[in-house]
Amino acid sequence: MSGGRNTKTGVEGAAKKISGGRRFLNFLGANTVPIMFIIICAICIPISGFSPAYLINEIVTRMGRNTFLILALLIPIMAGMGLNFGMTLGAMAAEIGLIFVADWQIYGIPGMVLAMILSIPISMLLGVVCGKILNAAKGREMVASYIISFFINGIYQLIVLYMMGSIIPIKHTTVKLPRGYGIRNTVSLLNMRQKLDDLLAINVKGVKIPVATFIVIAILCIFIVWFRKTKLGQDMRAVGQDMEVARAAGINVERTRIISIVMSTVIAGFGMIIYLQNMGNLSTYSSHSQIGMFAIAALLVGGASVDKASIGNVFLGVMLFHLMFIVAPSAGAKITGDSMIGEYFRVFVSYAVITIALIMYETKKRREKSQMAELLAAEQEGEEV
Amino acid sequence: MKTKMTKRMLLFRCGTILVLLLIAGLMFLIGRGHTVYFDNKKAEYNGQTIETPYRIDVYVNDERVGKLSSGDRGMASWMGQNFKMRLEITKEKGGKKQIANVALKLPYNMDGIILNLPAMLAGLPEDAYLSEFIPAPVEVTEEDNEVVTDEFGLEGLEEGMEESAGE
Amino acid sequence: MEETKTLTLKDRIRGFIDSFGVPRLIIAAFLLALFILAPFVGADLPTQISNTINRFCWNGILVLAMVPMVHSGCGLNFGLPLGIISGLLGATLSIELGFTGAISFFAAIVIATPFALILGSVYGWLLNKIKGGEMMIATYVGFSSVSFMCMMWLLLPYHSPNMVWGLSGKGLRTTISLEGYYSQVLSNFLKIQIGNFSIPTGALLFFALMAFGIWAFLHTKTGTAMTAVGSNPAFARAAGINVDKIRMLSVVMSTWLGAVGILAYEQGFGFIQLYMAPFYMALPAVSAILIGGASVNKATITNVIIGTILFQGIVTMTPTVMNNVIHMDMSEVIRIIVSQGMILYALTRKSEGSKG
Repeated sequence: MSGGRNTKTGVEGAAKKISGGRRFLNFLGANTVPIMFIIICAICIPISGFSPAYLINEIVTRMGRNTFLILALLIPIMAGMGLNFGMTLGAMAAEIGLIFVADWQIYGIPGMVLAMILSIPISMLLGVVCGKILNAAKGREMVASYIISFFINGIYQLIVLYMMGSIIPIKHTTVKLPRGYGIRNTVSLLNMRQKLDDLLAINVKGVKIPVATFIVIAILCIFIVWFRKTKLGQDMRAVGQDMEVARAAGINVERTRIISIVMSTVIAGFGMIIYLQNMGNLSTYSSHSQIGMFAIAALLVGGASVDKASIGNVFLGVMLFHLMFIVAPSAGAKITGDSMIGEYFRVFVSYAVITIALIMYETKKRREKSQMAELLAAEQEGEEV
Repeated sequence: MKTKMTKRMLLFRCGTILVLLLIAGLMFLIGRGHTVYFDNKKAEYNGQTIETPYRIDVYVNDERVGKLSSGDRGMASWMGQNFKMRLEITKEKGGKKQIANVALKLPYNMDGIILNLPAMLAGLPEDAYLSEFIPAPVEVTEEDNEVVTDEFGLEGLEEGMEESAGE
Repeated sequence: MEETKTLTLKDRIRGFIDSFGVPRLIIAAFLLALFILAPFVGADLPTQISNTINRFCWNGILVLAMVPMVHSGCGLNFGLPLGIISGLLGATLSIELGFTGAISFFAAIVIATPFALILGSVYGWLLNKIKGGEMMIATYVGFSSVSFMCMMWLLLPYHSPNMVWGLSGKGLRTTISLEGYYSQVLSNFLKIQIGNFSIPTGALLFFALMAFGIWAFLHTKTGTAMTAVGSNPAFARAAGINVDKIRMLSVVMSTWLGAVGILAYEQGFGFIQLYMAPFYMALPAVSAILIGGASVNKATITNVIIGTILFQGIVTMTPTVMNNVIHMDMSEVIRIIVSQGMILYALTRKSEGSKG
């Protein structure tokens, strides 16, 4: 089932060729999670009692809201750095941008663009810091990126809660806490609420399709596809395949890894702005904390794994995951009579999906390793094995 | 070759930064938002009193944002400084509607702007009908003061996912 | 504040900097500065010290729960919530079965034990399957189990009126008071009180008992085998040690200590916290042991004691001192930065053993 041989010969592995006989098993193995989710949704949808029109409307809205964020995860996976739990950093950069924009009273799409431009330098700085730390923590990138998101959250709170308004000028009392410094728990983004979604929006039988948002998402997809083919993109994939081989081929491994994290962080920042313009308000201290977890869970639900993810995974994942999210509470309430059960259930499922994906990845990695060791042993010992 | 590349890279980078800065500046100009308040209230100017009409309907972007009887105030958000609105004035009850299209420049540094419509319609100078809206100081509430931790409970979760979308 | 920091630095710089590590030194200096500053800004030092000791007793065993897994090379136990859940099951069942007073504490430990053994074995079995990726998976095993138990707390047929929601009569409350059960039973045992200064002797003794138990265990044959597995698994295997079995044992021990740790925490805190409360309890424990000088694959009882004192000292001292000095309560933010920064620092260190 696993591709032990493939990884051994690096070039073959790079082409991601799967030999014919294993294809079916691989298909099942790689798609356990999506299949599981389709079953969960198939059970929950009739029970929840939502109309198809409502569900489609919700899914379309949530796709517009979340897809960009999830796409931010693809590049670090390409570079072999696993799931970038540090995408929260980009979200925080975006929030800082949005706070300023809200304070300067820049409305609508210009406000979004300005917030994006503001977020770029912050995202890049955080991305470089994160990348450097991850380079020092090779082999435990994921847990390190996960802790980084907490660490930077501390710094973010330090800046937003204590420095904004006291050192960094913030004018408006609608943004600032009454005590004179610090930002309020909620910052209203009413003036940019769904401004991108409403641009060019079309209505098909009661389903609002945010065309402009989808165009932006499409541009990012095209960029990612194009980027994979560039020299840098190729380098990243080489680093992702095997760091030592890449280094031997003259690639600056550390730098390439940092760039991949920086790109991911910047994209996550843009994604967060798109997400928040849809929501219409910013929960200063909690909006970002969940983003990484949901984006990662959605990506994994789409059939991605820690070392392999495609744009298709993103779209399938966002649909299935959010379908589950919409129907689970209501289905849970109908089954058990307690609305909280469904809410806890979907939280549980989100975490369980990530856990299962991580376990599958690690077992696969380990099996490949031991197969390689066996192969080596067999080669050395001749015919004994 | 290599130095040339880096030079080009440097130029390219500076160019990008410059373009971004330009876009940012442009966004400042076109994206600056104002809240415009419309007063259908009596105005005093140089000793003369301007009477209010019976009703003024205010349309901004073809959307009625205010239906102001005498003494009422309406409001609208506007992006940029070139403000346009259409007024439908009913002088007396049951009277005919007069339509006036108004275009004016909003001062950049004012967040909230009060327009006194009767004064404006009477053709008085700008300082007679345009004034800055100063929000009343918000009463200090301690409830918004809570410190947030790194512990995300279910609350954060719900906030993130549950807020209703759509119109 | 700056001055005192440099002074202490100067005094200690030679002997400690290598063995201690810079971040640890900064934290220790910071705490020392807090203690020196405390009397000047009007904080009552005896109360502060008593608080620190108290908090040490609450959290000590949770930090101790890191030790076995670090020793066997399983890394930092981010899956501590699993042990905590066993403890919570023990606590709630003990109350449900009608135990009261000090008995309920020991009943809770006894009831929690089988849960800890079962969950720990499953968890250990899982971690044996995914050697090398323990920490990330441990984190998510913890999260999944906590969110799974959220459903269970609502669904399990608990009936004790002290624990369930008053209106519906079912589903456990988010916080359950331990008044009349085991609140303060350890702390009040042989308690020494001098003015504002108090020592919770019983709780200290309980911690000492546990710590001694672990210390003694690590010096038995199995204990040394555990250390061998952690420092060099290939060598351990060659020496005929069943690596997987030892690792499994360490995970079970960590889980059980987590269960006992949360019970000790509850007896000090006075409440059982259910639902999402255990979610992040691993992180303070992890950073405490790291502050105490442990690394991803090396931890001693001394690390536990020093780390817990430093960490809890900062947690108790910063709010009071900070509030008085700059009139801003930045303690929460400082705690986050210090603890997460410490974990990050440890993760980026090159592992001293053969693998991380």
